[in-house]
Amino acid sequence: MNPTNPSTAASGPGSGKTASFMNARAYQTVKRSVMATFEDGRDQSAGYQPKARVTERYRIIGFISSGTYGRVYKAVSRTSNPEGIAVVRTSSGLTPTSSSGPAPIEVAIKKFKPDKEGEQVSYTGISQSAIREMSLCSELRHANVIRLVEIILEDKCIFMVFEYAEHDLLQIIHHHTQQPRHPIPPATVKSIMFQLLNGCQYLHTNWVLHRDLKPANIMVTSGGEVKIGDLGLARRFDKPLHSLFSGDKVVVTIWYRAPELILGSYHYTPAIDMWAVGCIFAELLSLRPIFKGEEAKMDSKKTVPFQRNQMHKIAEIVGLPTKERWPLLPAMPEYSQLSTLSTMQHSTHSHHHHHQNAPNRGYPLSSNLEKWYYNTINNNSGAGSAASGPNGQPALQSLGAEGYKLLAGLLEYDPEKRLTAAQALQYEFFSSGDRVSSNCFEGIKVEYPHRRVSQDDNDIRTSSLPGTKRSGLPDDTLLRPAKRMKE
Amino acid sequence: MSANYWESTQKRYWLFTKDELASMRQKLEEENTELVRMFPLPQPRHLAIYFNQQLLRLGKRLTIRQQAMATAQVYLKRFYTRVEIRRTNPYLVITTAIYLACKMEESPQHIRLIVTEARQLWQDFIGLDTSKIGECEFFLISEMSSQLIVHQPYRSLLALRGELSLVDEDVQLAKSIINDHYMTDLPFLCSPHTVALVAILLALVLRPNSTVPGQNSSGSAAAAGLAAAQAALSQAHSARSGQGGILAEIPSTPDVKERVQEARITRVQHFAAWLAESGVDIAAMVDATQEIISFYECYEQYNDKLTREQINRFVKARNLDK
Repeated sequence: MNPTNPSTAASGPGSGKTASFMNARAYQTVKRSVMATFEDGRDQSAGYQPKARVTERYRIIGFISSGTYGRVYKAVSRTSNPEGIAVVRTSSGLTPTSSSGPAPIEVAIKKFKPDKEGEQVSYTGISQSAIREMSLCSELRHANVIRLVEIILEDKCIFMVFEYAEHDLLQIIHHHTQQPRHPIPPATVKSIMFQLLNGCQYLHTNWVLHRDLKPANIMVTSGGEVKIGDLGLARRFDKPLHSLFSGDKVVVTIWYRAPELILGSYHYTPAIDMWAVGCIFAELLSLRPIFKGEEAKMDSKKTVPFQRNQMHKIAEIVGLPTKERWPLLPAMPEYSQLSTLSTMQHSTHSHHHHHQNAPNRGYPLSSNLEKWYYNTINNNSGAGSAASGPNGQPALQSLGAEGYKLLAGLLEYDPEKRLTAAQALQYEFFSSGDRVSSNCFEGIKVEYPHRRVSQDDNDIRTSSLPGTKRSGLPDDTLLRPAKRMKE
Repeated sequence: MSANYWESTQKRYWLFTKDELASMRQKLEEENTELVRMFPLPQPRHLAIYFNQQLLRLGKRLTIRQQAMATAQVYLKRFYTRVEIRRTNPYLVITTAIYLACKMEESPQHIRLIVTEARQLWQDFIGLDTSKIGECEFFLISEMSSQLIVHQPYRSLLALRGELSLVDEDVQLAKSIINDHYMTDLPFLCSPHTVALVAILLALVLRPNSTVPGQNSSGSAAAAGLAAAQAALSQAHSARSGQGGILAEIPSTPDVKERVQEARITRVQHFAAWLAESGVDIAAMVDATQEIISFYECYEQYNDKLTREQINRFVKARNLDK
């Protein structure tokens, strides 16, 4: 039924080149292939008929990223009010916008990968994680959570249309690591943290765990609004029929994974998100992940391995957890692993440039987090000497002791003592000093690079060949630093 | 909101007045006059009873949790406010509603298993092809505008259990009334906690010896229950507006052991007093009580065979099972 598009060099698997390397003709071919992703496979036979078609409503600009779930495209609405379209049904021939109307709305369209790949995609039932994301995003409404515009079910594919955000924290952090390395301005850090916590508080008071907070999933609009994105792993925790653990054994990208998860806790809580927020805060200050462990891969029996190296990285900075500080610690399923950890040698020492606080063997008995914090804000190990405040001091120094209190409260071992989002928002960190702006870019001169949108969609119709990765910043956080260097 | 009914899509998009609901249904009929003429169907309540029973049959085979069953019931109801029944294969829609609700309520069932079990029940109407369920799932989600999170009255019931000193028997009875309310329009007409309160009220007053409503309650018992419920509500109402004095004895059915009866009357009075103190919309409760009671009366005229035949006729005649 669908004529097979001829495979071109640029669109064939494995080419992986960006648009800039292509000649104009190849570019056009690929551009068409991006469009084809949305136009293919129309099934005019009986059965489910979509109420709307993606390409009728949106003009696809290009490809943003891909992941295990599918792919994300940038697009603009063809009418000026995407939410009103249900009422004002347009014909497909409509031109983008009349000059009198408001500007077309930019969106990010997440296309879920069909379960089976190939020409003849059939309905196989929607994955549970897609159902979760669709249902949660339809309910959530908050300034600091990415807004769903609509969901279009068309040609056996799910398209989730979100408001567009020009930046994300991964991009922003990356920008500041560019030479000369310069810290993120303290007012920006404060505003980002405030908005991030605000979004978390909203999610948590509404019984939603995000479970995958990390810089790449925190969007920032060009107006400086922080939006928590990618609720692909999010879940309600208000009425679980089963313990949350039994559903998905592994959650949260390793560097941001809370200690109770590493220790195999069966019952986890919003505190896991708060640990991740603490890690993000630290990363905003130092511009590198604070606990950059190496992930132990699942073995062939699919048993979940103890993430020894990640636990080691955490213990290096905040010390090993003790049952004095964390009374329920001995009840953790992987508790026994901790004792084997303390005898471990410092095999990964070279990864830490000049980590004065890490002992050669064993771990600090008390936390070194305070030293880590002051070293970072005083630029001893942090963002480099180019940064200085109005008085010639390192810029981040203005965050002061309040910043440390917030960080320590978030990176607290005991999940019951760890700050909740609501508590964190009450911290002096936000009430002291300058007013926290709702625009995290307020008063700064830096112009962050825009999100990379490429025409390089090297796959036409299944749009999810194995091994394809986002063309902008790599998706896989473990590979992140390495990939970055190459770019 | 996920856990906040007041901000939910359920409240924003799926709560209607009786008139709105009626005009939505009328519009569907007007768009399908020919079909409606060719394939007469029993009254909507009887259709709802039939669908409910079929849904429960499949749920039982698969041992689906009550929470998922309740969500499936709501999906089915929502879908049929948007789509003319005669354009669908209700057995496929029922199967799909369960399949989707199980995923939504975090107790997924394999699509293959669901199809196998559904075929055991309705082999003339459900094929082996699982992609039919997958396709119908798109249809369901699309008609429900992806608004899949449903707030159910069971939670309010359990939350109020202690506060209202309910005994197990009350809770069980209230639960079965909640189960029954999915056959009425109440899920569209009032909030889940209103339904829960009505169920509690009816559980307390409508107690002709171990008769479970919806199964074989008699019309006279229902009428007596309605009278009792209304008495309790009007007392609560007048107590709130400062006119009420001491709560009068609630009318009750005679042939029950006296002490049990007294304890129950105490709970009814306690409940009425609690209602008077609370900010609950008593008028809405009165309406909902009437809706349930009249449903129970209507239940007695239900003809299972006729209903099944009329449904199966249009499915077969229109090849909707293919």
